[in-house]
Amino acid sequence: MDCIKNRVNSEIKKGWIGSNTECEYHPCHFSGQDCTFCYCPFYPCGDTDLGSSTPGKRGKEVWNCSDCLLIHRKEVGRYVMSEIRRLGITDVTDPRIKDIFPEMKRKFWHPGRALMVVGATSDAGKSVTVAAICRILHRRGYLVAPFKSQNMSLNSKVTRSGAEIAMIQTLQAQAAGLKNPDAHMNPILLKPKGDDISQVVVCGKPYADYSVKDYYDKFVTGPGIEIVREHIDFMKKRYDFVIMEGAGSPAEINIYDKDIANMRAAEIADASVILVVNVEWGGSFAYALGTVELIPEKDRRRIKGIILNNVRGSMESMREGSEKLEKMIGVPVIGIIPHIDVALPSEDSEALRDISGKGAGKIRAAVIRFPRIANFTDLDPLFMEDVSISYVQSPEDLDGADAVIIPGTKNTVADYRWMQERGIADRLMQMKGKVPILGICGGYQMMGDILDDSLGIEGGKPEIIKGLGLFGNKTVFAEYSKTVANRDAVLLKGHGGEITGYELHMGQTETAEEPLFRIESMFAKPWNEGSVRESEMLFGTYLHGCFDAKAFRKYFLSFVKGGGAAPEGDGKTYAEVLEESLDALADAFEKNMDVGRLISILEAEE
Amino acid sequence: MKILVLGTSSSAGKTTICAMLCRYYSGKGLDPVPFKASNLSLNSYATKDGGEIGMGQAFQAWSAGLEPETDMNPVLLKPSGGGIIQAVVNGKPFIDYGNGIELDRGKVMDEAVKALERLSEKHNIVICEGSGSPAELNLMERDIANTGLMERTGVPAIIVGDIEKGGVFAAIYGTWRIIPDHLRPRLKGYIINRFRGDAGILKPALDRIEELTGMKCLGVLPYVYLRFPEEDSCSSSEGRLEGETAREAFIRNIDEFADIAEKSGFDFDGLLKIAGS
Repeated sequence: MDCIKNRVNSEIKKGWIGSNTECEYHPCHFSGQDCTFCYCPFYPCGDTDLGSSTPGKRGKEVWNCSDCLLIHRKEVGRYVMSEIRRLGITDVTDPRIKDIFPEMKRKFWHPGRALMVVGATSDAGKSVTVAAICRILHRRGYLVAPFKSQNMSLNSKVTRSGAEIAMIQTLQAQAAGLKNPDAHMNPILLKPKGDDISQVVVCGKPYADYSVKDYYDKFVTGPGIEIVREHIDFMKKRYDFVIMEGAGSPAEINIYDKDIANMRAAEIADASVILVVNVEWGGSFAYALGTVELIPEKDRRRIKGIILNNVRGSMESMREGSEKLEKMIGVPVIGIIPHIDVALPSEDSEALRDISGKGAGKIRAAVIRFPRIANFTDLDPLFMEDVSISYVQSPEDLDGADAVIIPGTKNTVADYRWMQERGIADRLMQMKGKVPILGICGGYQMMGDILDDSLGIEGGKPEIIKGLGLFGNKTVFAEYSKTVANRDAVLLKGHGGEITGYELHMGQTETAEEPLFRIESMFAKPWNEGSVRESEMLFGTYLHGCFDAKAFRKYFLSFVKGGGAAPEGDGKTYAEVLEESLDALADAFEKNMDVGRLISILEAEE
Repeated sequence: MKILVLGTSSSAGKTTICAMLCRYYSGKGLDPVPFKASNLSLNSYATKDGGEIGMGQAFQAWSAGLEPETDMNPVLLKPSGGGIIQAVVNGKPFIDYGNGIELDRGKVMDEAVKALERLSEKHNIVICEGSGSPAELNLMERDIANTGLMERTGVPAIIVGDIEKGGVFAAIYGTWRIIPDHLRPRLKGYIINRFRGDAGILKPALDRIEELTGMKCLGVLPYVYLRFPEEDSCSSSEGRLEGETAREAFIRNIDEFADIAEKSGFDFDGLLKIAGS
């Protein structure tokens, strides 16, 4: 504690500094944060709006306020410092420092407001609308965060604290300028395992497997609703605005009472609601009107605006229709957004349903399109290179590929069987040594000699399966547990280089192969990860996100025929490309949406 | 008898369902004929007498055991780029319009109605297909194949909704509500298309839609992994398509789809009653 006291005292001495962009960790919470008090002078404040008591390492209760951002708001840092100076306080143990707290809280803390974005259909553009609104409000200086009570997706990411949440919420958090997306932003994650069963992840940890029916009958009406309530409360206490995303359509009247992802969550959060409609398929006015009017009256009053999204035709003609729609239902159209081409990762495999490939680059990377393909957004950074992706569902689809990627899957055993039955595995083996082959996560497991599921944890029935045998590895599914972790790693081959990624898998792999990466950790000795046989152009790793860093992208593509033919990109990192895309997205929404009206909807008191 | 099959959006399944209805009723000894007053498509078929019609109507004609003819699609609109659309009327190029040149909608509408009358004289049931969504508030005044046809002929109509992308009840109800008051009584039923799972869970919603609109659900058609021809830029279907020629393969798939529809309890008799109303 003395160490922290000294730190605060030196902070007091230094005075108000605003953002400390020199700090190597900056910004550690959100961009534009105030760094005057790296350590809070009020710790432990004991205010349950801002933190909570949690059991510490030695069993003693400790005050945990790691999610409190209040002291990092510019106006708060400045106010607290000016009060400390006014009172002539020079030491944090001065009892008068506690007197500053109540007035500071009264002046600057208030529960935030929530806005929910619902869609008339799946794929209406909810996720990008939330991301755009987060970025617009962030640019105007608000502290804003995304939230989705329940997300069904196989694209997940690992937070800094080791929780698993949907990838799209981490992207929206980035749009909001937040550096540490956390499980509060997506408390319930449903990961379809096939055959009607989904793994339910609560607050970032596996909770239980449910069938669709049991999920609605037992989980939603039981613990589900309380989980949603708890996390919405948490979020509203920490942000000015919480931008919530609905799921599917909110007007599925056959399951309306069991839906905790849409209007019920809006009710709990006392949120105003914006409805997004994808215009591309036609019928958008009918979808908008029907959605508004099928929602029961008590909830309908929350719907304050409509956004018509993805317009490819005449904007003027859409405006004419919008005026008529507004007259019919009394809800204004607050935005007519043209089709926008930005490079943002897609939310779920629905987005892959009708497409056979993506990108226009010369190097053709064939990606095995497993029925349970997971974390396929791993591949998006490849579009920064001269790469196009084609999705492989039959052996012929592999013809002419310059590289093959075996991606992650929610079920290694079931999808390995699928690959065998379709004859893709045989064709793949014929390509060994001719083109580079990379397995990520489940795909890496398949590349090994043995998949030992003798307890039936992965595939349902106990069995030991012979893998592709590209590596002499053995993967054992010994218990129902999952490795979920963020990793900093160093590429051990080629020109080396640092990468960050994350692991998300059942099963553990024993390997005697040459390693591909070395994982570095502040808390443990470095250890090796992955497998590589350069002479046979075989690569395997558990690290999702390995392509995000240029180092591994360039290394892998250097094996493509023509050796090192991958042209130099413009040197941007994938994170920078995403950042530009989020700005472009927000610009398009600013231009075509009535932002003033949106903010007045947000600030309106019920 | 006549029936107009409308869709809540593009690619809701209108074309395939109309082909299936042609197939089913012709198999039952009726004499169905397909019709689409106006088709916006670049996929066209040349009829034996040298006319041009939408590909969808050609497939529907074969489903009905008929040779495609221009009356089945009297107006074909072919976007030729740069805002110009070529209007093909009765199988022949009629006018290139756009960029200041207007299409004489009244004249074109007259030709469409005449073609429908000729077909009704020769066949005992005309399966009319709508175009896009009939509820485009910004386009309705210029409509030909949906409310335009209803206005001129009083044809009874049903609505097809695609459940796969979600929001289907909102879409069906919303379409019904936006159709002008004087035409709304001609909306007699609806179809839920591309459903996966146990249709029993939809019951409360189907009851509610009937209560609100008076329209009956004629059937919940399951998702089928069969490939059908793609009529416009928006639609895409994936699935099996095997056979000597595209035409044979299509007919085989349509037969299978008709069987599936029948097994799912689709109300073919109810639809005939609507067509005769």
